[in-house]
This record gives sequence, C-alpha cells and structure tokens, in this order.
Amino acid sequence: MSSHFTMGAQDNFKNANNSMQRVKVYRMTEEGKWDDQGTGHVTVDYLERSEDLGLFVMDEEDNETLLLHRISSDDIYRKQEGTIISWRDPEFSTDLALSFQETTGCSYIWDHICSVQRNMHFSSLANETFHNVNSELRELPPVELSTLPSILKTIVDSGITDQLRVTELMLHEQDFFRKLMQMFRNCENLENVDGLHLIFKIVRGIILLNSSQIFEKILGDELIMDIIGCLEYDPEAPHVHHRNFLKEHVIFKEAIPIKDPVVLSKIHQSYRVDYLKDVILPRGIDEAIVANLNSIIHSNNAIVVSLLKDDNTFIKELFARLKSPATSKESKKTLFHFLHEFCTLSKSLQMVHQLRLFRDLVSEGIFDIIADVLQSEDNKLVLTGTNILILFLNQDPNIMRTYVARQEGVLFRVLVQNSLTDFGDDMHSQFLDLLRSLLDSSYTQKDTIVEIFYEKHLGQLIDAIASSCPPNGDGQIGSKAVSSDGRSRNPSRVKPEILLNICEFLCFCVVHHPYKIKSNFLLNNVIDKILYLTRRREKYLVVAAVRFVRLLIARHDEHLMNHFVKNNLLKPIIDAFVANGDRYNLLNSVVLELFEFLQKDNLKVLIRYLIDTFWDQLVKFESYSCIRDLKVKYEQSLESTGTSSAGSLLEQMERIDDRALQKEEEDYFNEDSYEEDSASAQTVSTSRRQPRPPPVIASGSSQPSPNRSGGLVDYDYDDEDDEDYKPPPMKKTEESNEDEGLTEFRLKRKLSSKEDPEAKRLHQSPISLKTRDGAFASLCSTLSQAVLPSKKTETALFNISQPDSDQTTTSKISQSDSDKHSTSKISQSDSDKNSTSKISQSDSEKSSAEPNIEEKRSISSSDESQNAQFENQTDIKEAP
Amino acid sequence: MSDLDRQIEQLKRCEPLKESEVKALCLKAMEILVEESNVQRVDAPVTICGDIHGQFYDMKELFKVGGDCPKTNYLFLGDFVDRGFYSVETFLLLLALKVRYPDRITLIRGNHESRQITQVYGFYDECLRKYGSVNVWRYCTDIFDYLSLSALIENKIFSVHGGLSPATPTLDQIRTIDRKQEVPHDGAMCDLLWSDPEDIVDGWGLSPRGAGFLFGGTAVTSFNHSNNIDYICRAHQLVMEGYKWMFNNQIVTVWSAPNYCYRCGNVAAILELDENLEKRFRVFEAAPQETRGAPAKKPPPDYFL
Repeated sequence: MSSHFTMGAQDNFKNANNSMQRVKVYRMTEEGKWDDQGTGHVTVDYLERSEDLGLFVMDEEDNETLLLHRISSDDIYRKQEGTIISWRDPEFSTDLALSFQETTGCSYIWDHICSVQRNMHFSSLANETFHNVNSELRELPPVELSTLPSILKTIVDSGITDQLRVTELMLHEQDFFRKLMQMFRNCENLENVDGLHLIFKIVRGIILLNSSQIFEKILGDELIMDIIGCLEYDPEAPHVHHRNFLKEHVIFKEAIPIKDPVVLSKIHQSYRVDYLKDVILPRGIDEAIVANLNSIIHSNNAIVVSLLKDDNTFIKELFARLKSPATSKESKKTLFHFLHEFCTLSKSLQMVHQLRLFRDLVSEGIFDIIADVLQSEDNKLVLTGTNILILFLNQDPNIMRTYVARQEGVLFRVLVQNSLTDFGDDMHSQFLDLLRSLLDSSYTQKDTIVEIFYEKHLGQLIDAIASSCPPNGDGQIGSKAVSSDGRSRNPSRVKPEILLNICEFLCFCVVHHPYKIKSNFLLNNVIDKILYLTRRREKYLVVAAVRFVRLLIARHDEHLMNHFVKNNLLKPIIDAFVANGDRYNLLNSVVLELFEFLQKDNLKVLIRYLIDTFWDQLVKFESYSCIRDLKVKYEQSLESTGTSSAGSLLEQMERIDDRALQKEEEDYFNEDSYEEDSASAQTVSTSRRQPRPPPVIASGSSQPSPNRSGGLVDYDYDDEDDEDYKPPPMKKTEESNEDEGLTEFRLKRKLSSKEDPEAKRLHQSPISLKTRDGAFASLCSTLSQAVLPSKKTETALFNISQPDSDQTTTSKISQSDSDKHSTSKISQSDSDKNSTSKISQSDSEKSSAEPNIEEKRSISSSDESQNAQFENQTDIKEAP
Repeated sequence: MSDLDRQIEQLKRCEPLKESEVKALCLKAMEILVEESNVQRVDAPVTICGDIHGQFYDMKELFKVGGDCPKTNYLFLGDFVDRGFYSVETFLLLLALKVRYPDRITLIRGNHESRQITQVYGFYDECLRKYGSVNVWRYCTDIFDYLSLSALIENKIFSVHGGLSPATPTLDQIRTIDRKQEVPHDGAMCDLLWSDPEDIVDGWGLSPRGAGFLFGGTAVTSFNHSNNIDYICRAHQLVMEGYKWMFNNQIVTVWSAPNYCYRCGNVAAILELDENLEKRFRVFEAAPQETRGAPAKKPPPDYFL
C-alpha cells in the first residue's frame, strides 16, 4: 500500500502547528441537527492492524479518541467554506463533519483524503502502487486535480536517487508539463486557490530539482509564462502579478529591428529567466540553481551576440545610424545604450571571438563614437560610455592603447578632462581608473601612450590640484560655476573627493612610471604643487599628499631625494604635522610612519635635511620614540662623517676654496633676491632675514612668521564658510582650539603658503646662516661630541685602512653622505647620473678629511637653472 | 528630521540607501575617521561587540539586548560585512550611526574590511546585486581604509579585531602605522587584524589562516604587562558560547553573530562595561527566521538584448 509518502506526510503533520490540527467534531442527530462531539486534534494514521488509513481525532482534554474513520475510496467527502469537511459515514450511518480552526489545516487534511483515495484507485487499477517502499518509482501519477497532492509528495519528499528518477519520469512523460500548466490555467480560471497553492509547490519543487533538461522544457517560449504564473501563488506570500509586469510594463526596446526569430526568442527568454532568478525566487533557490539558470542566460547571450555580429548588415546599420547626423538625439541615445548591452553580452562569447568582435567594433569607429558621447551633457550616457571602455580595457587594454596612441586626440583628452569633472553622484573614479588601465606599466606597448600622457595631460591634473588649493592663507578659490546639468566644470574648483582620487592616481604613477616621474616631477614644481594639498582643510587630502611623498621617497632615488632637500619639499608636511599638534589621528600616524621609514632605511640625505631644518619644530614631539630614533640616526650620521679622515691636504684646500666660491655666489644671489623682494613689495623675504624668533613661536614654520597684525594672514580660514564643506561634529575640535600653541602652528602653515607660486619661486632664494640659529646650535653641540674618535668610518671604498671600520653599514652611508657633501656639483649635473656618482665619490673623499662640518642648505623651490649653483652648499670649518 | 536621521530610520528597516546617499555618507565618515587614532581611546561605559558579518536582523537583536545607540555607547570590533545576506545594510547602518553620533560608537577594522576579502566572501557580490554596479562597494572599501585599527578603553582594556603582533609589543608602536591602505599581507597592521590566541603556542606561532600569527599566553602576559592593561578584548573567532576567556582571564574573545552563516547554531555575546569597567556579558540568540524579509532585486524596466 502507499505507505511511504503518507508516513512522511503524517510525520510532517504531527510536527505542524497544533492549531492547524484543531477541529470540532460534529455528528448529525436523528433530528437532523449537528451535535457537537467535542474538540480535538486530527491526524491521518494507520488503523490498528491494518494497512488502511483513517482519520483520528483525539480529544484535547482527555486524549481519548473522539473519532476514528476509515478513509473511503468512494466519493463521499465534501469540503465547505474552506474550514469544514463532511461526509456520510457508512459505519455510523450518519453524517459527520470536522470543523477546522484554520483553513490551512482543512486544506491539508483534505489533500490527504484525496491522495489516499487516489492511491486506493491507483492500486486497485494496477497491481503495483506507483510508489512502494521497496521498489523504485515506476510512473508519475497522472496529472489531475485529485493527484496534485501525491505529485507534490513525489517531488518534494523524494530522496536524492528518487529525485533523479522523478526527473527522468517527468522528461519521459510526453505531456507532463503541458498538462500541469493546463491544470494551472484551469485552476486559475476557476479560482481554485487550493489547487493553485498546490501547483505553486509542485512547480517550486520541480525547479528545486535543478535539472537543465527540465529547465529547457519549462523555461521555453511555450511554458515559461505559465510557470511564472504558477509561482505567483505562493501561499505564504502576497500575490505578485509577475506576468502582468512582464507583459504590460517591461519594454523590449529594439534599437535596430531584429528579424531572426531565434534571436528574439533567446532575448526574451534571457530576460525572463533573469527575472525568475532575481525577482521571483531570490531566496528560495540555492547557488547551484542560480548557476544553472545563469548558464542558460550565458549561452543565450552567446547565441544572440554571435548571430547578430555575424549579421553584417545589422552591425553596419547600427554604426551608420550612430554616426549619421540625421539620427535624432533621442534615438542615438537608444542606439548607444543598445551598443553597450551588446558589448556587455559579448562577455559570453569565447575569448577569441570576443576579441575579434571588439576589433571589428573599433574599425567601425566605436571609440570615436564614445569620445563623442563622453562629452555629452547626459550623465547617464557618459556613464554608459565609460562602461563600454571598461569592457574594452578588461578584455584587452592594448586595443584601446593602440587607438589612443595612434589617434592622440580627443578620447585621451576627454578622459583626462572628465576625470576632473564633477558628475555628481553618477561617477566615482571611473575616468581615473580608465587612465590607470591605459597607463598600467605591467603591459607592453605602453611607451607611446605613457609619453603622450606625461607630455600632454599630466599638467592638467597637477593644475587642477594647484588651483583647487588655497594659494595662500586665503580659502576662497575661484568662483563656482555649475552648468545646467549640475556638473561643476570649473577646473579651478575641483571637489575634494576628486582631488583625493587624483592624488591616489598620482601615487599610481609614482609606482608605475618611476622614470617618467623623475623627469616630469622634478620640473615645473610638480611635487610642490601636489603638496599644496596639505593646505586643504580636509585632512584626508593632507594625508593623501603625505602618502604621495612617502611613495616618492620609497623609490630610494638620490635625484628625487636631493630634489626634496633642495626645494625644502618636506616643509609643507612638517608644517601640517606640527599644526596637527598632539592629536593622535591619521595625519599624525602617517607622518610618523614617514619618519620611521627614513630612519629605518637610513636615508641620510633626508634625515639630515629634516633634522637640520626642522628640529626646532620637531623637538617638542621628542616624546615620540620614532622622532627620538630619527635624531639618533642623525647624530650617528654626523658622527660617521665627522670622524672620517685621511684626505689629502690638497683636497682640503680645494674644499675650502669651493666653499669660499660658493659663499661669494651666495652673497651675490642673496643681494639679488633682496632686490627682488623689495621690488615685489612683499616683506616675506626680508623678514626671513631677520633673526629667527624663539623656537617656541617659530616651530610652526621654518619660513618667516610675520606678526599677525601685518595683515598677511586671514586667520579665519579655518572657520570660514565653505558651502561644500560641513565639518562633522567632532569631539576633539574644542580641545584643539583651546590649544594656543596649535593654533599658532596652524597659522604658520597657512602663512607659509601665502605667496603665489611665482613669487615664491623668486623669494625662496638661499637663506643665510643667521636664520637658522636654532638648528645650527643643536648641530654644533652634536658635532662637538662627534669629533671624538668613533668607530664609524666614512666609506668602504676609501678607508680600508681604518682599523675599526664597520664595513656593513658604510658603503650605503657614504653614498648618501657623499651626495650631500657634493650637492652643489650634483645639481649642476643633475641629469647625468654617472657623473654624479663619480663626483660624490671624490667629494666624500675630500670631506672625509674634514674633522668638522657645517652645512647650510637653501630653502629654494627650484628654479633650477638659476639656483642650482649655490644650492645645498656645504660649509666646512676647522675644528676648534 | 535630518536627512541622516531619516537614513538611519530607513536602514533600521533594512532598506539600503541610494547610491548617492552612500557616497555622501562615506565622505562624511571619512572626515570623522581620519581624525581617529590607530589606537582609538574609548571611555567607559561601553558595550563591546564582535563580528556581525552582514547578519542584519541578528544585529537588531543585538541592539535589543544592548540598547539603542546613542543611549548605549558601542565599540564594534570589525567584520561587519561578508557571509550574511545584508552586509550593505549592516555596514551602512553602523556607518550612519558613526556619522550621527561619532562619540557614541567606535568602529574598528576587521580582516573582512578589505577589498580582497570582500570580493571572495560576498560583500562585493551583494553590492553588485543590490545596486547593479560596484560603486557602493568602492565607496565602502575606500572607507574601510580609514577605520581605526584598535581601541583602548580607559587605558585598561585593549580591543582589537584579531590579536597581537610581534612587531608592536607596545601600543606606542601601533601609532606609526599608516593605516590608510588595503590590509597588507604581513606586518603589524595585518597581524592586528588576523592573529589568534592559541593555548598550545608558547610565544608566537605560524597561523593556519596564512596571515597574522598565533600567540600564546606568554605573549599576552608580556603585552598586558608592558602596556599596563588589564586584558585584551578581541573577536575574529567563532565561539559557540558567544564569548571565551583565555590565558587566565588575560584575553577574551567576543563573538556577536548568532547562528553564524545561518547554520552554525552558536549563540552570540556582547560585553557590557560599566563606568567602573565592571563586566557583564549579554548572550543572545539569532532573530527568528520569519522576521527576515526576502531581499529581492528590482527588475530592470526595459531590455535590448
């Protein structure tokens, strides 16, 4: 008998909610009145010593049997009002009725009765039941209203092996799905909700079988809409009119009419399957099913794209219309969105086919069209254009590189321009990402395009930064122009998040094009300009600028490091750090990390420059171990220089002569710059010449600090209103404002950037020794100790005779040390690396003869041709 | 009601924000987080929470048990995203609360707050599914870079997602980490987010996770001693009971994702510290299944192909 599924059903039922089983039992009296027999819980179970099934109602109070009824194969049962099942009972010879508390309970028992009856019919018709505990499934029940419950059980309650069998049977049964869908339409027409709920469960069960072959059948043109219809009747969810949405609301846009019926059918199927997967069944299905459905879509896409791309007239027509001036703006938009979808779908093609397609599209002129679109006022269209470019770059960046390198023109320019444009919320950093892909050095064939970028486009990005940062203490930059489409096109006012993206892009450049960076960043104050970011109030921009410098320094490039020293490029960073005071935030950490890096990698040139120039400002942060370590490293480096010996007298003389010469030059240029200062009617440079104020005040800046009443500084910068910027409520703000010292530092930082770049270049000529008393004093005290015999030697190459030399550290140290001593010459031969190293070797030899050394370095921002000769002079004095 | 308050209400209903709102929120958050320290100071009373992993409705249970923010101060130890169904809503709600009440809630970074990890464990796909583009993923992962690495409660309790690093035996050494970066594969920052305490290890051992270290009782004792702290509070490892002490109460693991991955059957816990740093663990269970609405994608209204 049909033990298997009923047992399962019964177990399930016992576990079900108690109220679902709760029934009142009624019996018709002889007077024709319904007599309440009591309330209990109903179950379907085997009758004692029998294979027959019956209805049991157990009294909820005393657990006694209220009713025991053997289910009859005759059609005696009636369901009324959704909550009552009644029948004429042959044993009691009267009418009985069960009144359910819940409709679901009623349907459930009703389904059971029907299925038990059906099984009785079935077993009487055939010798075998359709399903037996010991034998495998032979046949599916025929699709009838009464068999729906058993079909459901067969599908839902079957084990893994049975599932395979069920799948097989469904596929073999010619019209199983068609009949099921016919049944669905009947039920829907008759508004048979119970039937619809059952069919919903059956269809969901069928989908969960996750059979590709079944999917092929039920998701085909013929049945898919009915299948989706079935899935509208989830008994546990409100009815959603999916078919209505698909039929009435979804628009299939035909940019270019597609004639091939196969293509059309695949297109529609893909959309519906996607809808099924994402909208109808998102939580009900597991990953394996999602994967299976995706593969249907995937192969459809491949077919569609294949057929369309091989249809020559189709592609030709598409591009002809896109290019034609006769095509309306609106339909061009549609065509372009179509083109995007076409390219997106081509991901489903095999790599080689996709590549060929993309090449074809390029020769049809897709990049020209995109370049055009990227200049459109329609943000959505621009976004679509970038998405197509991303597809191309992901597929093979060289296609676009070749185009850009050859064309040189519009597209590249537009990409750079758009990376500076504020597209509101539609764009993040797509354009800079595209540039990254184009300029990624890990690909070949890059050179031309990199050349073009640095030659023609880098400047634009740098200018954007420079013009978006306060040139001096004044916070107001340019005016804000917002065009009709809501984009801000004014290059002088780039949004902070875009500046951040640019700065990160420049970091990418540092890593990928070290040589280009060298040749380009050393010119035109590029690094200086990027460091304008430290004047921005958004601390994340300041932090980004520090990171940029950190990456540059990590190149370990002597040229770059000397450039930093020569142009005092760490100044903005130190200023920002000092202004930040003791606040332990990201800026604090980032700068300390930079110091730690200098110290650990023992970048002597920079360590010396840093301590020499900024120690009076940094000394108040001595409590940080990494600053102490830096100082120690500094002293060690002096020590090793100080004790290196054994140069010839002649060399010493030369050295001194050199120095004298430099001094002359310096004086000359000092005068010169003095004149310029007065000419430019700014007091900056002259005040620099005045004795340095006491360290406490001066610590904010190594630049002059004119008193506030001088009116050079609008200190309100920090508080002034900037419509774009709303500072978040910060708990620390008040604290920091109370700190007078910090305010002072911040003031200095702003001050130092007061001059316009041009003026700055002119004014930042060499400074005299006097201005650096503080640093000088500390230097002297250090040096007086350093004269004492030391174990450190100067160079491995030249001081082999030193008995106690620490060979492992020396060669590196001497390299950087010697650079420093010879900077005046290096700067003359800046571009010739070989000669530099030669010079520095000989120089270090010379310097090693000197027992005591003073250094003086100009704070100049690099008008190289003019200042090169006297920058970074090394003064040598006799030891006391 | 301000936009932000409205967004918080919306997120509390598990409805994600618009892409443009996410962008604006992240920018505001960036301004706040950049001011935080690698070892963020936190005042008591505070409630410490471990991994959430996108289990939004379970996080709502957490707030039911622990009290709403800002009435209760919170410290979340990272791993807001991945694995669960609602990483977007979970992280955005926490971030919105952070922007709204910066002093009331502290978020520190977990090993899942990373571009690489989220591309494997679900957050990336979720963003793509819910927004149709990866922009939101990018905004969020950009913000991850700014999240603080650890917290110090009243100078006495060190809180971190993973554990200790041999590179930072003192808290002062954590200061010189430039945290604004993708979680690296090694080094102090990686270790803080990836390491685990382990009974059988003496000192330091290789981690089976492939990142970070295993550290033993002696490493913990020495760290607590040199930094003068009472104990370490961390997350990162599933504990079936919600929390677990180790090494003689020198380190505790707090886990706040009940029935992790919707199948592990564990309970979750949060650690409440009152103003005197008195501890109270609150254990809670997963939200009942039916309170979860099915996340469905909005269908695109038209198609070409």
